[in-house]
Amino acid sequence: MFQKIQNWFDERIELTELIKEFNGERIPRRGGWVYTFGSLLAFLFTVQVATGIFLLFYYVPYFPMARNATYYLKHHVLFGNILLGIHLWGAFAMIFFLLVHMSRVYFSGAYKKPRELQWVAGMVLFSVVVVLGLTGYMLIGNENSWWTINVLTNVASHTPVVGGFLRIIVRGGTETSVLTMQHIFAVHVWLLPIIVIMFIPMHLLFIRKTGHQGMALEYKNSKLSDDDINKWKHPDATVPFFPDQFYKDIIIALAVFGVVYILAVVYGAAIGPMYRPLALNFAPEADWYFLANEELLKYFPGHGLIVFSTFLIPTIGFVILFALPFIDRGHERSPFKRPAATVLGILFLLLLVYLTLIGGEPKAPATV
Amino acid sequence: MTKSSEESPSRRTFMMVVIGLISVAIGVALAIPIMGEVLNPLFKRRDIVWSELGKVSDLENIEPLVPKFVPVYFRVKEGWTVNTLPRQVIVVKDIAGKLYFFSNQCTHLGCPLHWIPERQKFMCPCHGGMFNVLGEVVGGPPPRPLFAWVYKIENGAVLIQNKFLDNPKERGV
Ligand code: HEM
Ligand code: FES
Repeated sequence: MFQKIQNWFDERIELTELIKEFNGERIPRRGGWVYTFGSLLAFLFTVQVATGIFLLFYYVPYFPMARNATYYLKHHVLFGNILLGIHLWGAFAMIFFLLVHMSRVYFSGAYKKPRELQWVAGMVLFSVVVVLGLTGYMLIGNENSWWTINVLTNVASHTPVVGGFLRIIVRGGTETSVLTMQHIFAVHVWLLPIIVIMFIPMHLLFIRKTGHQGMALEYKNSKLSDDDINKWKHPDATVPFFPDQFYKDIIIALAVFGVVYILAVVYGAAIGPMYRPLALNFAPEADWYFLANEELLKYFPGHGLIVFSTFLIPTIGFVILFALPFIDRGHERSPFKRPAATVLGILFLLLLVYLTLIGGEPKAPATV
Repeated sequence: MTKSSEESPSRRTFMMVVIGLISVAIGVALAIPIMGEVLNPLFKRRDIVWSELGKVSDLENIEPLVPKFVPVYFRVKEGWTVNTLPRQVIVVKDIAGKLYFFSNQCTHLGCPLHWIPERQKFMCPCHGGMFNVLGEVVGGPPPRPLFAWVYKIENGAVLIQNKFLDNPKERGV
């Protein structure tokens, strides 16, 4: 019976061949668990799309209503709290594992020739996912959404030359208004997800073209010199993607999904009070992944210096990250053979953690 | 029968040029209305209204150098809706009796200021900006003194406009 169905498809589109081709991708053998984070991100993104689409059954992108629509979804819709919770904790998980995936790629030097394009496509994904997180935070329509929109559009206004215009375009006027919410909605729900949906296959296509690099330990037996580009295309041993690597991928996916699910059920998504522009003692808070950036904003006082924290430092940081494969052109892959890159990477991660921790502390006492 | 691109290199060039031109034409034709829509806010006039804050006689009675937060409500058109923008006006009377009408927006990135009586300062909860009672920066990252509302006094009432004095980049209220 199954054989017959299979034959029917094979006669027409060679389905079995196609599936074999897809599943047979060769993955370096030794570091399998370390290579699971990319698939994990693809999985988490799928979960975001699935939950996001159904949040739209209730959500209203209109400033005076958005928060109450979300509240209704959470408290009066069967399992709405879980759906919303998965979308929130899933987003946090994505941002966290983006950093993990990037770190693993960074420390194994997998962005080097011939794999520069994987990194660049990855950076597009990273930027877009972070903005997805920020815009999601704004869509709730609670107090933090309101002030985050105001603060971030004001940050944009410090961009040299075009800043003032940028703020007006993003807000849809000089004020944060219903149009602002409408724009953010379109960006969060249509524009950015479509970019992600286009770039994940591109990312994967590039990887299939060059083969997976994996870590330096995959090349211990290679006789070629580190400078030989061919060395990094032929790991000592490989396994097929399906089922060997997929088996590990899905175990990690389940573990992370389990944690996300538990957090969704136990903590859910905090909705918070309706936005009140008149509030006298409200202290806005950024989401955790933005705290490091937030902390930067404190160190550059006065007219001339603000542009450092709002524009120059973040932009320069981004440009360096984007162009990393073209800046770091050495051929060494092992983190021990390129100590400068390794130490810089570790220092950068430590700085990020440090800024995030102090960024999370209250800055000015709300009362006293 | 026309030649295929494989038979004639010039035919190939011709087809590539046509493909390129058509793609550009379609792209530009689509980009024009899209850019128009996105940039539209730049060409819209802001709806400017006056709104009554209170009686001068009441406001003149506040204690000197003790800020008073008074809400004001602007009824303005925003896109296709008419909305009420509630905003705080910080009314301050100096020792000479002059009244000031400040916005409670921090001039750094716009967070809502808290008045801390013990320190006689406005503190910003976001990045630690500080202003004295007359709106001057006394600490933290804010680049300029507090924004002052455009106001006028008519028939004994203070009217506030949804607009700041000295606001070159048109920061929203
Ligand atoms: C939604 C985001 C992303 C998805 C779904 C994704 C997916 C994947 C997958 C499935 C792999 C192969 C398996 C693995 O090594 O994990 C991979 C590898 C890779 N990723 Fe990503 N990735 C994402 C973001 C990023 C980012 C932000 C970067 C860097 C800026 C990046 C850079 C790379 C590179 C250079 C490789 C090749 C590694 C090698 O050949 O060993 N990716 N990605
Ligand atoms: S917004 Fe007030 S200090 Fe940054």
